[in-house]
Amino acid sequence: MSKQAITLTVNGVARQALVEPNQTLTSLLRDELGLTGTKHGCGVGDCGCCTVILDNETVNSCLVLAMQAQGREVLTIEGLAKGAELHPLQQAFVDAGAIQCGFCTPGMILSAKALLERTPRPSREEITKGLSGNLCRCTGYEKIVEAVQDAADKMSEA
Amino acid sequence: MLLPSFDYYHPQSLPEALSLLGEMGDQARPLAGGTDLLVNLKLKKLAPKVLLDLSGLEELQGNGTDEGLVSLGALNTASRLASGGPEVPGLLAMGAGSLGSPQVRNRATLGGNLVTARPAADICLPLLALGARVVLAGPSGQRQVSLDGYFKGPGYTVKEPGEILTHVLLDAPRPGVGGGYQKLGLRQAMEIALVNVAAHLELEDDGKTVALARVALGAVAPFPMLSPGAAQVLQGAPAGEKIFTEAAEAAAAEARPIDDHRGSAAYRQDMVRTLTLRALRQALSQAQGSKEEQA
Repeated sequence: MSKQAITLTVNGVARQALVEPNQTLTSLLRDELGLTGTKHGCGVGDCGCCTVILDNETVNSCLVLAMQAQGREVLTIEGLAKGAELHPLQQAFVDAGAIQCGFCTPGMILSAKALLERTPRPSREEITKGLSGNLCRCTGYEKIVEAVQDAADKMSEA
Repeated sequence: MLLPSFDYYHPQSLPEALSLLGEMGDQARPLAGGTDLLVNLKLKKLAPKVLLDLSGLEELQGNGTDEGLVSLGALNTASRLASGGPEVPGLLAMGAGSLGSPQVRNRATLGGNLVTARPAADICLPLLALGARVVLAGPSGQRQVSLDGYFKGPGYTVKEPGEILTHVLLDAPRPGVGGGYQKLGLRQAMEIALVNVAAHLELEDDGKTVALARVALGAVAPFPMLSPGAAQVLQGAPAGEKIFTEAAEAAAAEARPIDDHRGSAAYRQDMVRTLTLRALRQALSQAQGSKEEQA
């Protein structure tokens, strides 16, 4: 089967791409659309580095076929900042030192964003549960949890 | 990790999907959430020539209640089940909520969990304890199969390659009925259970006597299994610690665990006893709670 044309919305912008049936959403975003903020980690849905928000739900984009994104809306880490102004979650991660190597960060932040949309003032337990599909091998998670708590506080004040 | 090459079809109705599946035979694999199937393709455990994406099939979506019977569409995601709602029994919500991670639960489906049929499947165990039936659609029509008798081995069920699992049927949640789900793993998320137990209790109108009980055990046999011994001990007896302890013994005696790198058979057997007891306590408190709510 040859490549097929698909259309989808990425970070609010309508996009088109030619994709192979066996191409994943990760590959569509990185290789076809040049959005390399989405990382390719384990490739089997364990690590969460490739997390994106597909129609308001977090998914491991390594386990979604590009063709399954036809007509749907994708939010990646590139879609969070407004110009030079970081999203409160991004700023909180920087301020708390929750980023070390940075490879897990885009997925972590998107999982945290989905969590805060459902639960604007999460408990520590709700945060760890909300981020349980994202592995970090650097930080030991403490500063990530702090960053999400700080962002939640700031976002609720605003 | 790369996917092998395959053709992709996106049928828009059940008859279309069944006819494609009929034409292509075992060359084709139905695709639902993909959280197992795509992993198996990447790990080269499977190499179908065609993936048949079921997401366009209206017939597999949505839930309904009719005369005390709930029908759940095969494409319900684990997240959707975990968030509960009037049609979803608490026990099923608990199991679905303990599956994988948020990202996996947003994709993994009810039908996928049943067809993949892993011995510790978090959605299969509650359904087995709830006495659920599955609806299988094939070239010559539909058939209903009780889950007790559906599983044949790890990843192997009575579903024929030309059939698609469309629905799950079970009794609607009602007062005096409760469930308990206990999952033991080495970590608290993204975990396949070392042992998991689902217990279902139905109480008589007196709120004490057990009218019906089912205890399902995971990861201690080649497929999710019911413990007939535990059910027999419980039925007709006054619910409480004494009878729950006896039922837990019966369940442990019937479990057939093996030694593997994750835990020994002896440890698993012990844990069946502990988790069955805890699941029954949880089920009783839920059953009595729902009874009081009604009163």
